[in-house]
Amino acid sequence: MSPSVCPPRARRPAAALARVGLAVGASVAFSGCAQQGISIKSHDVHILYLVIMALAAPVVIGVYAALAWCIVRYRKRDDQPAPQTTGRGRSLAVFFAIPVVIIAILFPFGEATLLAVEQSEIPQVQIRVEGFQWEWTFLYLNEGIFVSGKTLVRPAVMVLPVDEPVQITLTSRDVIHSFFVPALLFKRDAIPGRTSSFQFTPSKLGTYQSQCAEFCGLYHSKMTFEVRVVSSADYQAWIAQQRQALNSITCSANGSDLSLVAHNISWNAFCLAVPAGTPFTLHITNQDNGIEHNFSIYDSFFEKKQYFTSPRITGVASETLTGPPLPPGHYYFQCDVHGPAMSGAFIVQ
Amino acid sequence: MAVTEAPSTAVAPGPERGRLLDWLTTTDHKKIGLLYLISSFSFFVVGGIFALLMRTELARPGTQIFHPHAYNQLFTLHGTLMIFLVIFPLLAGFGNYFVPLQIGALDMAFPRINALSFWLLPVGGLTILSGLFAKGGAAAAGWTGYPPLSEQLGTGQDLWIAGLIIVGTASILGGINFIVTILRMRAPGMTMMRMPVFTWSILATSLLVILAAPVLTAGLIMLFADRRLGTVFFDPTQGGVVLLWQHVFWFFGHPEVYMLILGAWGIVTEIIAVFSGKPIFSYRGVVLSFLLITALSFSVWAHHMFATGAVELPFFSVTTELISVPTGVLFFIWLGTMWKGKLRFEPPMLFALGFIAMFLIGGINGVWAASPAMDFAIHDTYWVVAHLHYVLFGGTIFGVVAAMYYWFPKMTGRMLSRKLGIWQFWIQLIGFNLTFFPMHILGLRGMPRRIADYAPDRGWSFLNLVATVGAFIIAIAMILFFVNIFLTLRKPRTAPDDPWGANTLEWATSSPPPAHNFDRLPPIRSDRPVYDLRTAGGEGS
Repeated sequence: MSPSVCPPRARRPAAALARVGLAVGASVAFSGCAQQGISIKSHDVHILYLVIMALAAPVVIGVYAALAWCIVRYRKRDDQPAPQTTGRGRSLAVFFAIPVVIIAILFPFGEATLLAVEQSEIPQVQIRVEGFQWEWTFLYLNEGIFVSGKTLVRPAVMVLPVDEPVQITLTSRDVIHSFFVPALLFKRDAIPGRTSSFQFTPSKLGTYQSQCAEFCGLYHSKMTFEVRVVSSADYQAWIAQQRQALNSITCSANGSDLSLVAHNISWNAFCLAVPAGTPFTLHITNQDNGIEHNFSIYDSFFEKKQYFTSPRITGVASETLTGPPLPPGHYYFQCDVHGPAMSGAFIVQ
Repeated sequence: MAVTEAPSTAVAPGPERGRLLDWLTTTDHKKIGLLYLISSFSFFVVGGIFALLMRTELARPGTQIFHPHAYNQLFTLHGTLMIFLVIFPLLAGFGNYFVPLQIGALDMAFPRINALSFWLLPVGGLTILSGLFAKGGAAAAGWTGYPPLSEQLGTGQDLWIAGLIIVGTASILGGINFIVTILRMRAPGMTMMRMPVFTWSILATSLLVILAAPVLTAGLIMLFADRRLGTVFFDPTQGGVVLLWQHVFWFFGHPEVYMLILGAWGIVTEIIAVFSGKPIFSYRGVVLSFLLITALSFSVWAHHMFATGAVELPFFSVTTELISVPTGVLFFIWLGTMWKGKLRFEPPMLFALGFIAMFLIGGINGVWAASPAMDFAIHDTYWVVAHLHYVLFGGTIFGVVAAMYYWFPKMTGRMLSRKLGIWQFWIQLIGFNLTFFPMHILGLRGMPRRIADYAPDRGWSFLNLVATVGAFIIAIAMILFFVNIFLTLRKPRTAPDDPWGANTLEWATSSPPPAHNFDRLPPIRSDRPVYDLRTAGGEGS
């Protein structure tokens, strides 16, 4: 066996101290990094973060200190053999007991926080959130309005009144997305074929950057949105403004031959008009390579009554559709793949 | 001193072969083990370059080099290669080389299947990589391949599925081979409770493989069928269930991560004992921990799905927290082994100590994610990227490097340069922490995973730059490592049988061993037969 050459004395204690220092410094730095968030529930999560830190830090510091001690104190300095001792059963029992005790504290605390986060109240604001590739639509169910982001162009903005409980019902129109608001210390996956509900009450005014947190394809990194918490009065004003904007979309019929282009997950027109009582033709061009769109007419974005639907068209392609005669009224059209994000008013005069 | 004669099992030498043909057709577990290491380190370089490319893109906000379409392939291939073609086969490679030696056997139970298991690996890996030449590019749905996204993508995704089915088959065959070898081919005196802990770790890994890998294969077949054969397992518009994939995948996926660490635990435990000059503090404790973790690993899978709102949170939270108990026991055993020892800071020991320090952080930061309310905040953020790299790189890769320095003399007859090893250790340790520690903070600040770019006003820019600098420092350490290997291979074979004063049977034969492994086996009366041989009657030191 070759004799071992020990590294210079100065190196070993430096290494050991560096390790302990790193652990302490890290714990301190860590505690400063976690945010409290903007709701009571997020404050509870922040406390859970600190509790876990309080349980974990002694473990890390303790193990690092023991490592440092061994490195410094038990460096081989002579050729005497080390005592060939092993632990007895009691040591093993202690080794098992220590982490069990830590978990016995951690688990109930985590459960309590979870119950707090899952607590429900009577929601004042109810929003159906739909994720799609690659933006969001927020349908305000009580107020009868919706807002939609536009992929790569404009993030969706969720305006909320401060201190009012909000209920979100979440789903996806295509692949799995995730509704992640860092300021709430919360996320929930948006899964196609499933709806998922959760509640929170934002208690701090401000604008909070958020984005999709489940990899969803090409522009996942651009699937951002904003949560804007405003006063009650500002919220009401905003609702009124949105309602007005939706109602004011109008156009005049110019024959019953329509054309529509889909480009970058947007239509090139937000208003179509046809005369009443006669069938109409619609020339659709889908310029989005590899992406499906279709064309459907409903009573409103609540999609309670469907008047027409076309098959899906995969871009790049063109199709000519024939639509039915309709009584006069203010209808709503959309691409079912992308929902209200690709929608407009369909006027029958 | 009496030495037991091993039963005569010498194999008649075969016909003379050219060297290349010999390596291509070998069924010798030692050569196959080396082939595993060569293949794995090659894929490691490819996966590592992909990582450096990603870090270069993310160093600053804005798209500098990689359009999202390319970036999404990069992280998919990085994860897939590192997990299936680097880390697992590195541990399997050491297992192949050393399990028969450690139990005093002539070879694996099924040498030709052993060769097949190896050769399927580069075939599977190259199949996955060939997606880069397919229309639409390589797989780009992450290493986890969640549908419906993975059903949208092109041929590259099919090649990913095919490659993983090939690799999975290889590992299942290997798992069977190891289990039969370990249970049936131990030398006289080598009871189960005298086997080296590394062999125990390979046994535990193999149990995980044969139970979990078939589940992944089944899931991949379902995914392929949905994509190409008209089935609708995961299509919610036709009555399928999207979440079914996640349950199937993670039922495999969680045992998978233990397949990626157990071998390293075995290696590190052995190295700590040797370089402390003491027996393992509690051999039974190590074996018990390995087996408990193996069993428990099947009960935690849905902790990857907390954010779906569709799984039983308290159950999976408590099982996940409980699995930290046997893991914690291992730390105490390592510390107890060093306590009052005579520590020698050779490169294997440096990297083993680095393993303990880094794997501790990786294990502990997982505890935050084990509590669902906290996980809602950090799931799918860079906190998880920090966690997985602390356990897989700070853990397994440090352990693999320790194993290389430890076992290189045995495999090649040459000692790796100690000086280069010390340099590599410090550069690797610093580079690694510089890269991955800031990611905890990035996760807490809300930076999601798998993003090709980020906005400059999020407060993520500086830490991303730091992480990129760290990544290139890791690259320097790796270059030093490969330089060390190449330079050392040119030196003459002068390594003794037992350069480290070690304990287990592989050190009872020459460096490298003859084709038939042992001329003579020492008596096997404990879990340290070479230590017993060395200290009986004052022989050697």
